[in-house]
Amino acid sequence: MLHQRLQEWIHPQKQIQRRCICCILPPQMLDNLIQYGDEKNREWALTTLRISERFRGKRRAVGNVSFAISPGQKRRTIYDAKTSTSLPGVLVRGEGDPPSADQAVNEAYDGAGATYDLFRDVYERNSVDDRGLRLDATVHYGLRYENAFWDGNQMIYGDGDGQLFNRFTLAIDVIAHELAHGVNQHEADLDYQNEPGALNESFADVFGTLVKQRSLNQTVDQADWLIGVGILTSRVQGQALRSLKAPGTAYDDRILGKDPQPSHYANRYQGTSDDGGVHINSGIANHAFYLAAMAIGGYAWEKAGRIWYFALRDILRSKSTFQDAANATILIAEQLYGSHSDEQKAVRSAWQQVGVI
Amino acid sequence: MQVLFERSGGFAGIPLTLTIDFANLSPDEATQLNRLIEQADFFNLPATTPSAAKPDRFQYRVTIEGGDRPHTVSVGETAAPDTLKPLLNWLVESARKQK
Repeated sequence: MLHQRLQEWIHPQKQIQRRCICCILPPQMLDNLIQYGDEKNREWALTTLRISERFRGKRRAVGNVSFAISPGQKRRTIYDAKTSTSLPGVLVRGEGDPPSADQAVNEAYDGAGATYDLFRDVYERNSVDDRGLRLDATVHYGLRYENAFWDGNQMIYGDGDGQLFNRFTLAIDVIAHELAHGVNQHEADLDYQNEPGALNESFADVFGTLVKQRSLNQTVDQADWLIGVGILTSRVQGQALRSLKAPGTAYDDRILGKDPQPSHYANRYQGTSDDGGVHINSGIANHAFYLAAMAIGGYAWEKAGRIWYFALRDILRSKSTFQDAANATILIAEQLYGSHSDEQKAVRSAWQQVGVI
Repeated sequence: MQVLFERSGGFAGIPLTLTIDFANLSPDEATQLNRLIEQADFFNLPATTPSAAKPDRFQYRVTIEGGDRPHTVSVGETAAPDTLKPLLNWLVESARKQK
């Protein structure tokens, strides 16, 4: 129960928030009611949850909690917006349904599954919200929409413009990235602006790449550490959208320009575009993770990923900075692997190399 | 009159930019663009619209200068008023064609 200890020690308030979401009934009891109670109990427990969620200002709706399947199971639902922007669209594949003829549907389904599995198998997390949230995704959103996002409740994928961008479900790390935004929303809830925003982006890329590496069973040396391979069309000079190994080198194209990511804090972007450079400065924290994972070795999701996950879950908050992330990961490395352990040294050295500490 | 357009953010974080000079537009295009600017009531839109930034959504910045008074509107994808969206879509399409 390390994380409980960490929470009590570092953030007594967070402990209270996590353990008593409505401050009337302990959440375990609500969970039990939802899982085992009769229909009336379940409805009441869900209403209570919904109210407390609203009170916490987090998830805007718990409307997608299913009554049919108990929490603790993978529940994926894929919709098709048919190039409209109305959500969620037409239901095209539910949990356990056979594959669709539409590749985007299957990619969204499989990618969400691989992400769910990493968080459940390795970090013992019960879906995005740790309460068994159903994983909803909409494909074919908008016309030539060259983007993917998490809207607070579900994943949304565009088809790309076809000229420079392919469909966004093509890359499993893009899918995992979006779900990781959901995990962040239910944990640190990092602001999506400036340094906290760049951290938010970086955590999404980190878990994105970990899901990809795990799905390919790759060690740190075998992994390409690229985000979004396949998203850029063959007309573009570039191999991916971002690189954790070498930020700033993912693409260099006549039309799209050059990958603007810095790998060192001294070169951070300080303008206002992109919500204060959240997709630019994430390169700094991304590279810190890469350096730590390489120094630790083995499978990145086992140790480096665990350290980063606990930092996001138990220590970081909405206004946290790079410096806070460095301190948090160094502290957790110590808690997990010991003071002056190789793991802790690797994490400290990583943040030093990118100029954060 | 000039229109300066930038879309930033999005998953890729790759900006899309466009500069339009009315002098270089065909009469049809100029009429179309003028109508969209009017429809958006562009010069009366607030310079910024406070809204919580959302993961991987686009950010738009439109500046129109060289007319009676220059005006810049910066707005997030989720906060863009419906009256402005046709103009934003037109600018995105034009920027794509330019590529």
